[in-house]
Amino acid sequence: MSGLMEYNGSAIVAMTGENCVGIAADTRHGIRQLQTVSCNRQKTFQVTDQCFVGLAGLATDVQTLSQLLNFRMKLFTLREERKMQPRMIGNMISSMLYEKRFGPWFTEPVVAGLDDNHKPFVCAFDFIGCLSTAEDFVVSGTTSEQLFGVCESFWRPGMNKDELFETLSQCLLSGVDRDCLAGWGGVVHVITPDEIITKKLKGRMD
Amino acid sequence: MGTEAMFGLTGKDFVILAADGQAAYSIIRLKNDADKIWKVGNMLFACSGPPADTANFMEFIEKNVKLNELRTGIPMSTKAAASFTRNELAHALRKGPFQADLLIGGIDNEGPSLYFMDYLASSEKVNKAAHGYGAMFTLGLMDRYWKPDLTEAEAIDIIKKCIKELETRFIVDLPGFKCKIVSKEGTKDVTL
Amino acid sequence: MDLLGAPKRGMFRDFAGTGAAGLPNGCDSISEARFALPAVQDPATFVETHFSPGTYEDNGKRVKFSKGTTTLAFKFKGGVIVSVDSRASQGSYIGSQTVKKVIEINPYLLGTMAGGAADCLFWERNLGMQCRIFELRNKERISVAAASKLLANTMNSYKGMGLSMGTMITGWDKKGPQLYYVDNDGTRLKADENKPYFCVGSGGTFAYGVLDTNWSFDLSDEEAIELGKRAIYHATYRDAYSGGVNNVYHVQENGWVQVYSDDTYKSHDKYSAEREAAANP
Repeated sequence: MSGLMEYNGSAIVAMTGENCVGIAADTRHGIRQLQTVSCNRQKTFQVTDQCFVGLAGLATDVQTLSQLLNFRMKLFTLREERKMQPRMIGNMISSMLYEKRFGPWFTEPVVAGLDDNHKPFVCAFDFIGCLSTAEDFVVSGTTSEQLFGVCESFWRPGMNKDELFETLSQCLLSGVDRDCLAGWGGVVHVITPDEIITKKLKGRMD
Repeated sequence: MGTEAMFGLTGKDFVILAADGQAAYSIIRLKNDADKIWKVGNMLFACSGPPADTANFMEFIEKNVKLNELRTGIPMSTKAAASFTRNELAHALRKGPFQADLLIGGIDNEGPSLYFMDYLASSEKVNKAAHGYGAMFTLGLMDRYWKPDLTEAEAIDIIKKCIKELETRFIVDLPGFKCKIVSKEGTKDVTL
Repeated sequence: MDLLGAPKRGMFRDFAGTGAAGLPNGCDSISEARFALPAVQDPATFVETHFSPGTYEDNGKRVKFSKGTTTLAFKFKGGVIVSVDSRASQGSYIGSQTVKKVIEINPYLLGTMAGGAADCLFWERNLGMQCRIFELRNKERISVAAASKLLANTMNSYKGMGLSMGTMITGWDKKGPQLYYVDNDGTRLKADENKPYFCVGSGGTFAYGVLDTNWSFDLSDEEAIELGKRAIYHATYRDAYSGGVNNVYHVQENGWVQVYSDDTYKSHDKYSAEREAAANP
């Protein structure tokens, strides 16, 4: 299992702030130690105007699952004519993953979004859909251990959108500096009630 | 990943692909002049892996891309073809997988594009790509010499450098390299 | 067994590496080596299966070692250029980004480090000691050929015991600049006549690509140093297990000098800016 989770390499972190929430991911697409294929891999996907999903793990399943997610989101909007709340998205992903209990998607998703009351919501899953929510931050990918360490130190309650951006960026960059399989640049999305701020990070290229 | 070499580059208004000509069974070389670069519609697909898988998969893709064109009257864009191929490969992955590594090159309204795809079906649009053990020897070189808006002559020169490098450093002597270019004028073979 | 006039049995018992089988100081069986061996039937096999590093992963073994590297050295008209990265990885974890992979054996000899960090460090320090003893006894400096042979002999005596080391020994002796490759199998290779260079480590193939197309014997000092940096940069970019700081040494007639030491991060900025500038209009 762990072999497939480490095949392509990834680092994803989502954090809550005061009326804002953010998600950051690295951009490397590698094939284990053999080669670095590219440095602009998409690992975070916008699913509603106030919610992002980050997918860490096996690149092929990340692509497939992101497409599947996109399909499910569109179907929901057509049928229900309303927006899915982040918590609901979390539950949907959980059941989508468990659906494949005996032939899983080798990916560990992360959800970050604001609900209708502007309350931040972050959660993470294991690859067969065990959902765990957090008040502060969640991490995923090959860099998860390093990210846990830095986030544990730098996260604090009540960050505004600028502080949240800074913390997310620094945590991601510091984290991947200690992981061979992730890095080569990054991307950060900060979701606030009125806008989504997306910035590319320049990272180490080794 | 086998003892094969397959690599490609994007240029100013074309994509160039090169692949070795070896078809092997176990430790036996069955063929020296295999053509691993397939013409699919107005695109080029380079495909490496066990000869059975690659032939099977590529014929399937080739015919279905054609079928789609006949049905819709619109030739597939490179992005669409890559997306279709990825889907088929990904669906096969959890049934009876094809061990086929691909490079897809084509030119359309979006300009020239090159897609890298491994047998697990993760795909990515890139400027330089390589598969097989050959990748380890050629990627460094392509990074060194690739630049935006390469001319054909410059690109062929890089391909030649890569093949020369494989001849000097790779312990397996790969025979019969074939090189093809796809541009607005269609596809053509390049004699190296 | 007194080939190099080494001290008699027992005198060097406390110095590892002079006590293994077939070594000059007269210890003639592995059991007499200084290292305590595991108390099992077949220590060599036990050690090999439990304590030896694989190339990238530790193959389920319980001990993790530092490895994953790009190192290269090449001869040219001005001597030898040695260029290395500085990353130490344990599995996919980056243990350090500031490892000195060029080991300064003495003012005239350099060794590089790939494979197990501890093995390289220890045995090249040990080689330094052996070289110094040679110098004291013979009133002249040891040749690079002989020095590398000493290391190869040591490696041979521990063959199959799980040591991990891929090194290049370079220096300037009576016959001019010299370059040898020595590894834990006991392999010892003199650099080619027409392609006098080696790249060792997981990123080596990427570096070879650059070296094979750009190297020439008539490089100027500046061009040679630049080539050394280039090759390491391209390896750190594609190889996940190489990175950190690029250290470059130049071996000259009067000994080695360190000519460059900077983060590969800066190389990337420099070379990608150059590429953009070189694009066809």
